[in-house]
Amino acid sequence: MTGLQIRFSGSGGQGLQLAAKILGHAAMLDGKSIAFSQAYEPTARGGLSRADLIVGGGEIDYPLVTALDYVVILDDVAVTASDGLLSSASTALVDVERVTKQPGGGPEVVALRLIGTAREAGNVRAANIVSLGALAARAGIAGHDCLVEAIRQSVRKEFVAFNLEALERGRALLEAPAEKPAPLGACR
Amino acid sequence: MAVPGLRHHREDARGRGLNDTGIQNIQGNHACAVAAVAAGCRFFAGYPITPSSEIAERISVELPKAGGTFVQMEDEIASMAAVIGASAGGIKAMTATSGPGFSLKQENLGYAAGAEIPCVIVDVMRGGPSTGMPTRPAQGDFMQSRWGTHGDHACIVLAPWSVKEIYEQTVRAFNLSETLRVPVIVLYDEVIGHLVETLDPGSVDTGEITTRKWAGGDPAQYRPYACGEDDIPPMARPGDGYRSHTTGLTHAENGFPSQDPTTVDRVARRVLGKLARHNDLVEQVDCYDLDGAQVLIATCGITARAAKSALRLLQDKGIAAGLFRPVTLWPFPEESYREAARGKQQILVPEMNAGQLIYEIQRLTPPGVPVAGFNRLDGEPITPRQIAERVEELLNHD
Repeated sequence: MTGLQIRFSGSGGQGLQLAAKILGHAAMLDGKSIAFSQAYEPTARGGLSRADLIVGGGEIDYPLVTALDYVVILDDVAVTASDGLLSSASTALVDVERVTKQPGGGPEVVALRLIGTAREAGNVRAANIVSLGALAARAGIAGHDCLVEAIRQSVRKEFVAFNLEALERGRALLEAPAEKPAPLGACR
Repeated sequence: MAVPGLRHHREDARGRGLNDTGIQNIQGNHACAVAAVAAGCRFFAGYPITPSSEIAERISVELPKAGGTFVQMEDEIASMAAVIGASAGGIKAMTATSGPGFSLKQENLGYAAGAEIPCVIVDVMRGGPSTGMPTRPAQGDFMQSRWGTHGDHACIVLAPWSVKEIYEQTVRAFNLSETLRVPVIVLYDEVIGHLVETLDPGSVDTGEITTRKWAGGDPAQYRPYACGEDDIPPMARPGDGYRSHTTGLTHAENGFPSQDPTTVDRVARRVLGKLARHNDLVEQVDCYDLDGAQVLIATCGITARAAKSALRLLQDKGIAAGLFRPVTLWPFPEESYREAARGKQQILVPEMNAGQLIYEIQRLTPPGVPVAGFNRLDGEPITPRQIAERVEELLNHD
């Protein structure tokens, strides 16, 4: 089967791999099957980083993404990386600070303060978990209890509480938007 | 069903999983490491190299727990030598690497083939040659895995296409290596190595774990390379009192060097012929939709998974295509391929290299049946759509 296709993308070091790993773990805890693949550059930080997840109900035939249902983009460096994988049926959750370009293929673009929200929560490095919260609110994928459990099992004990807060703040961005999401590049 | 290794995953050990069935998300390279330990591997010597490093990383944790030894060596040459030494000492041993490191292991791999020392070598293929694209996939070692070392030699190469199959084929690699006294290479691409998939231990099928045949009987009569009907000489287990001599030189049945033409020819033909003799153990293929197919796609690894998806895309367009996948890549399953190719009008060999597997396919395809390739060299996997489009293009040219 093909399953739901999801990508976290941005610049190396933004925690995209961990976000996808946690979502994959949550989906597994929720009784689903996943295939998780990644691509990053040989450098420790910077450059294009992408983490792809296919979530299905049974054995997944082809484990790499071919048509994304959802993409999270946290940096301009990743905008063109999904060319050919997006269409009008796709949804792109993009960060308003670091993404100024329009993803190709005509997806629905939802611009959110992902990095800004993490900064307000106390650590910009939690932008990955804020994104995870927003994506989960939008796409479902795994039950909330499974997401919380996946975070508990995947991050160091001292960071669990902070990450759970980041998850909630991410959810809040889409679940009950306090204001209309800012247009692309609005914060620049 | 309990599958050794798979229940010791970190999430399980923490004991907080909502899911207590042992089902887990596990990376291909990690599956390789835990499978090796489950198969009885108790020695690993290696030198880390992307995209294989997670095997060394994981097994360095798993082996000590099982009473085994992990050594990070000074380089790949020494790693392979250490593996041969450990195996000659009676222990199941393994190393893991990628293309450039695999090249360095080739000289000693020849020694293992010549002296018939069981050992398992994992090669996780990346873009090459040289440093190339360490984090990107390729399938450029299909030929190196068979012909990389020198001289006429026997070796087995297994090519899994999923995380589950990495587990199964790693166990099988140890079983074959031990049973047949032959180096076995587990060969897969970076995509499969780094892929994380949900694995249900209940679906894993490894069969029995086998161990080499040890020397028995009167020690005074023991000859290290003498064997019975099965062509596989029993090995002397250190401490059992059997005197054994091992050399890289051509040797007689007594283990000592010989250049007597009759002896050299006899021993060489036995060693080279033993895999064919035990082909029932060695050969494994996986085929889909062969009946009535006009097109046959032959490939392995992640490209075979793309091809399997392509079958459905082609079916939607009314094109009947089948897939032939050599799980045992070498010795190449010749008769099974010939059978699969029978009656086909077009053969396609997609691979992430400039064309390697295609040579073997061309050699075995009946004259008159066109064989075409589809090759990517850019560090990106071949997609199902690309394979389907290539098939359509080939049929439209007719």
